[in-house]
Amino acid sequence: MRAMLGTMRAELVGAGGVVERNAYLTKRYIWWDLAWFVWTVANTLTIVFIAKGIEAEGGTLDVNETMSTLLIGAVVWAYLGILFEFLMETVAWERWEGTIEYTFMAPLSRAMHLAGQGVFAVLYGMLRATFLFVICGFVFFDLSMPDAQFFAAFVVLLVASVSFIGIGMMMSVLPLISPEKGTQLGFVAQGTLLVVSGVYYPVDVLPQWMQWIAVFSPATYALEGVRAAILEGAPLSALWSDIWPLLVIGAVSIPLGLWVFSRGETYAKRHGKLKRSG
Amino acid sequence: MSEHAVVVDRLEKVFQVPERDPGLVAATKGLFRRKTREVRAVDAISFTVDQGEVVGFLGPNGAGKTTTLKMLSGLLYPSGGEGRVLGFVPARRQREFLSRITLVMGNRNQLQWDLPALDSYELNRAIYRIPREEFAPLRDELVELLDIGDLVRKPVRQLSLGERMKAEIVGALLHKPQVLFLDEPTIGLDVTMQKRIREFVADYNARYGATVLLTSHYMADVEALCKRVVVIHHGRILYDGPLAGLADQFAAYKTIGVALENGGADLSRYGEVLHTEGDWITLRVPKAETSSVTARLLTEEQVLDLNVEDPPIEDVIELVFAQERPE
Repeated sequence: MRAMLGTMRAELVGAGGVVERNAYLTKRYIWWDLAWFVWTVANTLTIVFIAKGIEAEGGTLDVNETMSTLLIGAVVWAYLGILFEFLMETVAWERWEGTIEYTFMAPLSRAMHLAGQGVFAVLYGMLRATFLFVICGFVFFDLSMPDAQFFAAFVVLLVASVSFIGIGMMMSVLPLISPEKGTQLGFVAQGTLLVVSGVYYPVDVLPQWMQWIAVFSPATYALEGVRAAILEGAPLSALWSDIWPLLVIGAVSIPLGLWVFSRGETYAKRHGKLKRSG
Repeated sequence: MSEHAVVVDRLEKVFQVPERDPGLVAATKGLFRRKTREVRAVDAISFTVDQGEVVGFLGPNGAGKTTTLKMLSGLLYPSGGEGRVLGFVPARRQREFLSRITLVMGNRNQLQWDLPALDSYELNRAIYRIPREEFAPLRDELVELLDIGDLVRKPVRQLSLGERMKAEIVGALLHKPQVLFLDEPTIGLDVTMQKRIREFVADYNARYGATVLLTSHYMADVEALCKRVVVIHHGRILYDGPLAGLADQFAAYKTIGVALENGGADLSRYGEVLHTEGDWITLRVPKAETSSVTARLLTEEQVLDLNVEDPPIEDVIELVFAQERPE
């Protein structure tokens, strides 16, 4: 028991080390990241402006609510993008720099290694998502959200993040095998996940087969839950119908993600794919 | 526990390597039918390394040295056979195994390119569970020994190759590994620093009883550190034994150095004159004739001094590497 606790503690310390390293690396490129954040803001604004455009064209809609709905979709999109980017880019980065072989030689379980990557991605992604939401929602548009339960929305997104990390782990295999093109396929996962999940529209406008897929997408429940909390003021207790599917999907996606990653690692080690050259 | 730190038993690694002819037509054809070639990088090799032993693992480029070291570190899975290090199967990635080995590759880096080496050392401390009270003194000692005190605060990308190698070696030894796989650790270093690294490895071996498997193209490294060498070529072991015995097995000649009273005499009838330096003449003679030529020199010439030596190790290695792949 004592030995097990010791091992667990060591694993957590190791995962903490990975989080710390990613923090240093992010700090190293923080000004570039800020520049990239400007693009994220611009992209979000173009989406939120759609509501104003419809109104200007004579459409009848609750502009404030539609803008808020679109804003939430855009922020979740950006959040998912950062999460996947971190999980995949760190693998791609290490492949390019040649440090991946040493990372794989470190006495840290793959679960804790990837958990360390995921935890930092969630922390950083949450921070960016918050800034994005505040800048676009309140600084730029002055949207009104009088009933918003921000804490409940935060909890839903946090629970959803577990599933997102699981999916991100699966996607991280791609840059492991192909650092040149693998990362790009992460965008495919992000786009596919969100298009079926009602990122800017209700899921029931989708064709039936897409609605079936939406049932298995954690983004569906994340978007529903966050919108219910922010737009309808639903407290955390009222969001259980969104939270339990997220817990179930998370419980499946994390082990599945680890399994897929371990298969990719085995393939890479069998075929000598970890090296850049030589 | 076995007295062997490393046991390699008929270990092999086969890669399928894609290849195609140059040009657009061949590239287009490759989209539909990919041609591959089987490369037997390591071909059923067997050897052992005792605990505390320092063994030179020699071979020309592409001989299979790095592939072997990677299999022993768990970075590559063997296609056949087995390797065991400290009793562990490397591919299983057991924590106890990974905590007790290290691999230094001269042309790879474990230190994060964008960070100062000190930050990467901290990550190693966390991952290898090194107690802080042990970590700081050991890190400082290694940093001082390798004279990189003013470099470890710079991002690694700003270091020269030699400086980076020194920083890499510190990072690789912080957890006091018992088995060191050193793959050309002195590559790119100046002569003084090569010497310092050699002394450092020898000291580490003596102090911690560590086992070292060293590859290097610098024979000075091998001569200074290894009593025993394993020579690999085309994935197969050509020689495994004392460094001194390498010449016996592979060199077809010996050198005879001789000083004569009537210095400057023509000795070409005894063998090939390699060079003359003052009164000292160096001859190359077939190994089988060494005794008879020496006897003739002593009886026929007025010899002041004479010695018989094996050819320089670089020449012997060159002879070994020149061998064709056996069928």
